[in-house]
Amino acid sequence: MTPVSSTMSSLPGPFPRGPGPRRRPGPRRRPGPRRWPGPGVILPALAATTACFLVLAAVVPWWLAPTDPLAIDPGAAFSSPSLSHWFGTDESGRDLYSRVVHGARPSLLIGAAATALGLGLALVLGLASGLGGRWLDAGIGRLVEVMLALPGLLLALVFIALAGPGVSTTIVAVGLTTAPGYARIIRSQARALRGSAMIESARVLGHHPAKILFRHLLPNALGPVLVLATLGVGQAVIWASALSFLGLGEAPPAPEWGAMLAAGRTYLGSAWWMTFFPGLTIVATAAASTVLGRSLQRRAVGA
Amino acid sequence: MPVVPRPARPASLAASLLASLLVLTGCAGSGGPGGSASDDTPVEGGTLVYASGDAEPTCLDPHVGGNYPQALLAGQYLETLYTKDEEGKIVPWLASGAEASEDGLTWTLTLREGIEFTDGTALDAATVKANIEHLQDPDTASSTGYLAVAKIKSMDVVDDSTLTLNLSAPDSALLESFSMPWVAIESAQALERSQADNCAAPVGTGPFTVSKWTKQDSVELTRNEDYTVPVDGADHAGPAHLEAITWKFIPEAATRYAALQSGTVDMIDNAQPDTIKAAEDAEDIDHLDAPRPGASNRIELNSSKAPFDDAKVREAFIRAVDVQDGLSSLFFDTAERSYSALSSVEPMGYSDESAFERDPEQANRLLDEAGWTDRDSQGYRTQDGKRLSLTFPVSTNQSVPAEQSLFQQFQATAKEVGFEVKLDLLDLSSWYDVLGENHYDLVSAPYTKVGPDVLSILFHSSNTVPAPSGYFANHAQVKDKKLDALLEEASATTDADERQAKYTEAQKIVLEGHYLLPLYDQQNHFLYSTDLHDVGAMTAVASPTFHDAWLAK
Amino acid sequence: MAGQTTSDPTQTRRSSRGAPTAWRPVGVWLARRAASAVFVLWAVATLIFVAIRLIPGDPAEAIMGGPGSQASAEALESARVDYGLDRPVGVQYLTLLGHLATGNLGTSYSLKIPVSEVLAAQLPGTLGLAVGAWILAWVVALGLALYSGLGGRGASAVGSALEIAAASVPHFWLGSVLVLLFSSAWRWLPPVSNGTVAGLVMPIVTLALPLAGFLGQVMRESMVTALNSPFALSARARGESEAGVVLRHALRHAALPGVALSGWALGSLVSGAVVVESIFARPGLGRTLLEAVTLRDVPLVTGVALVSALAYVVVMALSDLAERLIDPRIRGR
Repeated sequence: MTPVSSTMSSLPGPFPRGPGPRRRPGPRRRPGPRRWPGPGVILPALAATTACFLVLAAVVPWWLAPTDPLAIDPGAAFSSPSLSHWFGTDESGRDLYSRVVHGARPSLLIGAAATALGLGLALVLGLASGLGGRWLDAGIGRLVEVMLALPGLLLALVFIALAGPGVSTTIVAVGLTTAPGYARIIRSQARALRGSAMIESARVLGHHPAKILFRHLLPNALGPVLVLATLGVGQAVIWASALSFLGLGEAPPAPEWGAMLAAGRTYLGSAWWMTFFPGLTIVATAAASTVLGRSLQRRAVGA
Repeated sequence: MPVVPRPARPASLAASLLASLLVLTGCAGSGGPGGSASDDTPVEGGTLVYASGDAEPTCLDPHVGGNYPQALLAGQYLETLYTKDEEGKIVPWLASGAEASEDGLTWTLTLREGIEFTDGTALDAATVKANIEHLQDPDTASSTGYLAVAKIKSMDVVDDSTLTLNLSAPDSALLESFSMPWVAIESAQALERSQADNCAAPVGTGPFTVSKWTKQDSVELTRNEDYTVPVDGADHAGPAHLEAITWKFIPEAATRYAALQSGTVDMIDNAQPDTIKAAEDAEDIDHLDAPRPGASNRIELNSSKAPFDDAKVREAFIRAVDVQDGLSSLFFDTAERSYSALSSVEPMGYSDESAFERDPEQANRLLDEAGWTDRDSQGYRTQDGKRLSLTFPVSTNQSVPAEQSLFQQFQATAKEVGFEVKLDLLDLSSWYDVLGENHYDLVSAPYTKVGPDVLSILFHSSNTVPAPSGYFANHAQVKDKKLDALLEEASATTDADERQAKYTEAQKIVLEGHYLLPLYDQQNHFLYSTDLHDVGAMTAVASPTFHDAWLAK
Repeated sequence: MAGQTTSDPTQTRRSSRGAPTAWRPVGVWLARRAASAVFVLWAVATLIFVAIRLIPGDPAEAIMGGPGSQASAEALESARVDYGLDRPVGVQYLTLLGHLATGNLGTSYSLKIPVSEVLAAQLPGTLGLAVGAWILAWVVALGLALYSGLGGRGASAVGSALEIAAASVPHFWLGSVLVLLFSSAWRWLPPVSNGTVAGLVMPIVTLALPLAGFLGQVMRESMVTALNSPFALSARARGESEAGVVLRHALRHAALPGVALSGWALGSLVSGAVVVESIFARPGLGRTLLEAVTLRDVPLVTGVALVSALAYVVVMALSDLAERLIDPRIRGR
């Protein structure tokens, strides 16, 4: 569910641009002394902090939350947030803070793997389309058009019905649905690069096409792909949690954010914390990934 | 299909009554309307907005398929030959009586006279015959109703109000079957329409008729102005007080409860335990608890393959898991623990608490005896390098969230003695596929049926053989000749005491064989606005009917 | 959650080059669009046909009351014959294409009525929801862009943060929180459709906000760019007020990338509708789709897929036209 491209209008590299001037003057600056750090600093700093916590939680969850996220304690079920349970407890008395922290690994892993898959697929399609002949380009273009014409959730639902719910299915489903959008961006990127002076000259110098691909094209495409990946991970996390919400993702009691949210919504009226904290974590993750992706993108443009 | 003078009222009408009512197996209660006693004069007119959390039926004719959501709706516009009274006794409704021959192979069914369907046709013997033939027609694709009338071999219309039924084998459950909405009687003329037409608006004799069905939103039911209660002696025999019912489908539990709170709807079903608890404190919401008949909600242990082919391992599992703690915290004490294969509303149910006492030490001992002596690095028991692992497919359509959470807790407590339980949440299609392929060790499947004959469906060895569609009901895969014989004898006898004795014996075999872990009755909780009065009339399968109900507003 | 993914604005522009210009007859443009639409529909039908056949489970069972039905072997067989499932796959495929070509979408397995009837009944609900959400998203996004454009740096920061937050909120979470607040706690709004406008408020807001976040992000960038462009400078030099510059020139630019994203927005709305319709218990295509997939109702899944694909094609064509109207430079190209 990512309009990654929506934030892609200022991708680095020789992109065919929309209307308006080709050179982006960067954030609008008024003359005068800088009095406070603008949005260009605060948001990325916040995002970077969030990202650090998330990575820490994913790598060494035990440091942040020593409580076992799976340990049940029916006597303490539905406790509201307190000093002993920062985020409260769920219907089986499991500590929600611990579950949110331990949920970072599966949730981010699903997001990252899905993004990697989507981008990988897109890279193949996009490069083949951008660099291949007219027919290949047309063929892949049609394929991508068809994939875009199907609502993403439909694609995911059909795929899950096909392969059965689960982590790997979720990854593939999300990867598949995000691939066509990425493919379009990469294609236009490759197109623009192909026409660039650098590649022209390499070709004139008689370099082998493979060498051109690996020496010039891929390294130049890498930057935008990284930006895409950063922007995409957060949205992939949302996608995956939506599938969990519909009961098609990771099976409980595994601490996965979407599954926790799905479990919590039943108790919305009586235990708001069960929905609130995992939801907030997903929002924070997606927002951090957007902010970081965009500041990476600005840096690449040199604004 | 309530019974006069007062319909069965398995209701906890006030929160404070709840505990005692549960003990009284939900068949208590009587008389007065729920909530306010200030003004008991029914108000005529008004539209009841009812929100169901059950899946929207794909067909409103409960003959087709035959599940609980269909029964819930059909109770408003269709009526049955028999029904259940307050004491749980099966009593005539559209029928006036039935008599079996000495050998139990021939039944003579008599019908009440002067009853008309809403399309103007009259109820007669030929109509009943057409209905049973409709159920038996493969094209109807009836499953529940089909099984209920399976033993009827042929029928002879004697006169307008007399029908003879010839059975292939004696069937002590026949009248119980006739009380179920899945065997409700529809207009023969209407049944001749295409299935699509009949599914969209079945025609019956009930207090309401189907006037409009907006898919995925609601079914509009309008009052049958010509309705009269078929049984004599009703204090309210004429048309319903309510002018109409809007029957909405709101699958999300939280949304459904919010709709009741905000006054968008007047009554909801499938109320979740936490909202029942919350409603106790709400002044404008009342609670109705109506356990379904048939089987209790239970976990069945698949005895057809390792590790549960060993009775010791089955017992070890039953002794290992902690039911009580989860039950009280997850269900907020709204569900009473069951120790029986049958629902607490079944008079022939047999309970044995001792068979299900938690005892982890004994579980460990049993597993040691069964040869599961080693433990792997994660603490699970192993035998010859194989882990003691159990597959537990859970249907998200059939298990409410609290139940799914309970299963997760079983997973945790079973681990303590070395069981690995793998929970798989599946949609209904995939769930049936997994069962059909015998890829399960544990399973929980509800089964609603009136009467103890449900035991034959669940435990007779013939029901381990899947239908062509892959469906079978004996999920524990019990194959016990002695049990089969008992079930057959119980089904054949017409003597109530003998029947009870046989079914009790059969239940003992099942419980002592450790084939199942009973949890609680099939939960059937309703919450409704205090503006809605005289709620509580029920069909034989504990679905509410609204002939008596009225709205004060 | 929102829609599938991405459609690069630049891509729409590329395709727009093959569109009507002063010297090319509109007919050619229309013909191309129509050919492309037919191709997309054919491919979608084929894709679903293949995919559904790989899903485990017997379609005949889906017809005979779904899973758990105790349909007899004869009943299953007759269902197979009735629905042509006994014929070779190739024949089934060609039959499907033949039917589709004549506008026949087949009969739903689970509901036993023509798919076209189901779609006709469900489409208005989703359409109303989607159009309402789309309009609201545009209003909010434009509002935010205006606020950021006119309000200076502080406003820009706030606008940006709001947009990112909105774009990061999952539909199901937003919907649940709204129900909790407005129906359970304050009892202001009905949580389900009840035929009134009030019943539409929360579903539309839930569906619109994340979309508004995304649209806002692209619109604001475009607006900021436009405000720094030479023509804005010259307008200011001519003595136009800042508000005048924004309203007369920059808005037009802000709208363009939003228009270009219409195809993507549609996918986002349809995917979002599945969730929103579930939460708010609204009838519509989203829930139909979810149930059709669960019940393995092949014709219905195909029908919903085709309708969405057709909507996508139409929206892409319309957004192409809209861009042309807004941006004179494309018209000249």
